[in-house]
Amino acid sequence: MKSIVLSIILLLHLGFAIAQEFKIDASYEYLYSGQWDKAIQTYNVSRPFLKEKQPLLMNGLNTSISYVFENEKHVKHGINVSYAYFRSSAENENFNNMLKLHFINIGYILHYENAEKSKGLYADLIISATSSGLFRHINGNPFEYDETTSRAFGIGGDICLKAGYYLTLKNNFYLSPFISIAYTPYLYSPNSEAVINQTKELTSKNWTGILTTQIGLTFHLKRQQND
Amino acid sequence: MDRRHFIKQSTLLSIGGLLIPSSLLSACRKETLFEDVTYDGKVIIIGAGAAGLYAAYMLKSKGIDFQILEASSTYGGRLGKLTGFANFPIDTGAQWLHGKNSILGDLIKKSKTKITLDDSETRYWFNNQLVNSLPQETHIFEGDNLPDISYEDYALQNGLGNEYKYIVENIAGDQGAAASRLSVYGNNKDEENWVAGDDDFKFEETFFDLIDTQIANQVKDNILLNTVVSKIDYSQSTILITDSNNNTFNADKVIITVPIPILKSADIQFTPALPDEKTAAFAKIGMDAGMKVFLKFSNKFFDQNIIGGSVCAAYADDRIGKAQNDNILLAFIMGEQAEYLTSLGSDVAITNALIQELDIMYNGQASASFIASHVENWTTNPYIKGAYSYSTIGMGDARKIASQALSEKLYFAGEAMNTNGHHQTVHGAVETGYREVINMLTDIKK
Repeated sequence: MKSIVLSIILLLHLGFAIAQEFKIDASYEYLYSGQWDKAIQTYNVSRPFLKEKQPLLMNGLNTSISYVFENEKHVKHGINVSYAYFRSSAENENFNNMLKLHFINIGYILHYENAEKSKGLYADLIISATSSGLFRHINGNPFEYDETTSRAFGIGGDICLKAGYYLTLKNNFYLSPFISIAYTPYLYSPNSEAVINQTKELTSKNWTGILTTQIGLTFHLKRQQND
Repeated sequence: MDRRHFIKQSTLLSIGGLLIPSSLLSACRKETLFEDVTYDGKVIIIGAGAAGLYAAYMLKSKGIDFQILEASSTYGGRLGKLTGFANFPIDTGAQWLHGKNSILGDLIKKSKTKITLDDSETRYWFNNQLVNSLPQETHIFEGDNLPDISYEDYALQNGLGNEYKYIVENIAGDQGAAASRLSVYGNNKDEENWVAGDDDFKFEETFFDLIDTQIANQVKDNILLNTVVSKIDYSQSTILITDSNNNTFNADKVIITVPIPILKSADIQFTPALPDEKTAAFAKIGMDAGMKVFLKFSNKFFDQNIIGGSVCAAYADDRIGKAQNDNILLAFIMGEQAEYLTSLGSDVAITNALIQELDIMYNGQASASFIASHVENWTTNPYIKGAYSYSTIGMGDARKIASQALSEKLYFAGEAMNTNGHHQTVHGAVETGYREVINMLTDIKK
């Protein structure tokens, strides 16, 4: 365990040593998936015995860390890892049904800023591999049947456009409000309907497209070119 | 504009720019379907089994006028309850909840209905003796690239010789079929879509009670019993339904939930006639004979499950999951074995054949402690005519074609019309009930 922690610290240190900019952000994320909407809407309409309807999966939280590597140009390269979490919970008598949705993205960043022209504005284009995990919980516990947990994993690709504005905090430390929009054209997640509506391909396909928007704050540790 | 003012403005603009469209999008996204759809037409549901009752329950929840026409003198279809025979209630029809990951799993949790995992032990009648295990693996009917041939032929091809005949008959019987008619390929394709889970559960009360208390109670005032539909004329905008007593009923939409043999044998005459493609699809969906015989004994001499009998391939201790313990053994008989027993012509003859077989297995203990029997023969029920549907050789997309709506007037539900692998089950029937109401409301919304 000790060696793992040391390795992580060493990696972070090494990473930062070669990085122009280290960023960590937190944001609110809004999600739209037509297929998951359909499955939840079908779940709701088909179960009149559940008075409280299952909310759609749409409001979540996102956090990410990024390294942007140093070069002399306005367009820089970097890497990004992000995690997002969404939840949908409906409380009925004897029956609390909760869906938990997790995303992990690992991506490549093209970071643009031009100190002279953009006056603190920057833009990121992030192309990521995305993986998802959808889980069902009933009355607070993971729903298990056949000694397995009700879950659906997904994999796909994602493209995200992000724009922000640097506010100087102190020396090399910056804060930036940002907005972003991301599109996952194809997330292969064949078991999602089985988790949401307990059916397979009755109402939805085994894949879905996802559109998300985010608004949040990024904390930057940014080396000046002459540091 | 100073820097602070600019930052404030741009932050507010960003938040507004994102939240306003998000709020608008959220408002467009409804949590459920058809919130804004109203319909003042009349819907008639034919058949008060699980599919028909659930379709009615859905319609009631949407405030739509409906009536259920049921041929028999009671509702429930292939769900039934027998009281007084034992000191616990007996399921005369569907008995096991097949998997918890289904709409009925939710209903059971919500209603706190008591169910118990059926993990009972199995013994086999093999080469004229009871054994705990079989010499050869019999789980050969699942996998990739399986042929579209019968279970019987596939078993023989894979070295399960004649001594395994009734073991294989039991495996096919689980699917409600004779081993000579059930398709290895077709059934395996069905299994690929199965998401409910493999564990089987039994009800402390009965499966019928769940559907009765939670669903039928909501709609039973709209059920017309003893109404045998003989004609459906959907040639005009108003559908005219005629029963065997020449009573007529008008409807704007009809949901047909009768068992597949009723459609196959053309007990209902359609005007205009159903398309050839549809009747051909009905013909391809299999449904074999099926019966359940409950045998009551003074002593508990039998094992929890006995598989492989030549008269009955599957016996099961019916006390599993029940609060009381009268010695009731269920003979679960499907396919050719059910055809043979039906041909004996009387409940007494059927019972005697079973007792005789059990006497051989248990050295005469069956006849020595036999008290009474109850025979529930679903094959001779004129409004059912069999057990439940299965996939035949060369069936293809028959279920999909059979279940397609006609002229936005006739909708087809029932376990045989389940296209997502859950046919043969109560939850599969329920799924078709709500699916067809959704299809109907989608047509109305157009």
